[in-house]
Amino acid sequence: MTTDFADGRMRLTVLGGYLGSGKTTWLRHQLHVGSFGPVHVIVNEAAETGVDDVLLAAASGLTLLAGGCSCCTGRQDLIDALRGLCDQRSRKASDEQRLQRIVLETSGLADPGAIVAAIQGDPVLVNHIVIEQTIVVVDALHGLAQLQTEPLGRRQIGAADQVILSKVDAVDPASLTLLRATLRALNPSAPQSAAVLGAAQPLPDLAPDAQAPALPPLSDDDTRGTIFPTRLKIDDSIDWSAFALWLSALLHARGNDLVRVKGVLPTPAGRLLLQTVRKVVQSPEILPAQENQSEDGTIVFIGRGFRQEDLQTSLRRFAGRPTGLGQKT
Amino acid sequence: MCNACGNPAVPGHWTEAGADTPGDRLRARFHRAGLLDKVLRPYGLTAHDGGVVPGIQLSTLSGNQSIVPDLSAVWAEAERLLGRPIDPLDPVFLHDD
Repeated sequence: MTTDFADGRMRLTVLGGYLGSGKTTWLRHQLHVGSFGPVHVIVNEAAETGVDDVLLAAASGLTLLAGGCSCCTGRQDLIDALRGLCDQRSRKASDEQRLQRIVLETSGLADPGAIVAAIQGDPVLVNHIVIEQTIVVVDALHGLAQLQTEPLGRRQIGAADQVILSKVDAVDPASLTLLRATLRALNPSAPQSAAVLGAAQPLPDLAPDAQAPALPPLSDDDTRGTIFPTRLKIDDSIDWSAFALWLSALLHARGNDLVRVKGVLPTPAGRLLLQTVRKVVQSPEILPAQENQSEDGTIVFIGRGFRQEDLQTSLRRFAGRPTGLGQKT
Repeated sequence: MCNACGNPAVPGHWTEAGADTPGDRLRARFHRAGLLDKVLRPYGLTAHDGGVVPGIQLSTLSGNQSIVPDLSAVWAEAERLLGRPIDPLDPVFLHDD
């Protein structure tokens, strides 16, 4: 019997990716080999009729939300379905086996960031569900073309904790490298892996100097500038409380321009993994100690028009140890 | 839900993570309130956390007080009181003296 997580909440994995990128194929294989264990799957289809639910029969429970993308028009249906699962689970006796994991397969038109925001903004769900990770599947064949033209494709990559390249057997190594460099430029913090029909494939390390082709600005991106990643080194003078104070203020004032923040910081309780998607901050998680902790204290910011030196100065002057901050009039 | 204060036992605000023991939590609260107070004072606001009741007390210099649950609420309340958000990328925070 699987035991409850220490905090008693369920773990939710959001599976996103563009239309036809291979989300269902990947998930079907994972269910077949049991990578998630007993899991309830929620499938969202933007169209009125669902077909994916037939393919995913290996799940221990399945909910189909058809006719409305759950990041926008179908959002309430998603919240209701998740609340229903929470209710069912709460009614079970403590010694019965209870649902531990949910996988949400979004429609290809969904922005995973908006779904994460909706779930974390719900007062009931936040007590029952922890969003564990956002996996985004990228079509190795068509991914680059989509990223060139589709703002949604770029938003999906920006929201990913992990990127899975599908159909890698159908592309030549050079174009795969090009796509991977582009993905790295859009979201340097998301590890990349590969799969063919859902089965994991080895992926060579991406050369650090691999150049990404320049992505044209899109009309849907507004004119305030392009989204680009920045890295911020947090030194010893800024502790976690000070950083959280600064970041919470920054998210309040500039959250709409800040697509993603991710990094690991030292705290009294251990190494803390921090992740945000736009204004929403996922419950920070304590990570086990590792041998290689050289990346600790480096925070990746993906946002619109954030200059590294501005962020560094602002952090120091806003939240650092006493500086000569004059009285503002 | 706490019988006395009516605050639901929600998983803590993200800014309060990273402190596991009651001692660490209390230390972090005092530390956070001190840092916050330093930021707010130039704007004519003060912050105080006595460590007893949940939440952070905000006061204006004229004595108006409110208690807000967490840092996100602090910035929202400060924006309401000031009529504009406190922006860490405001030029005042970007120039070294």
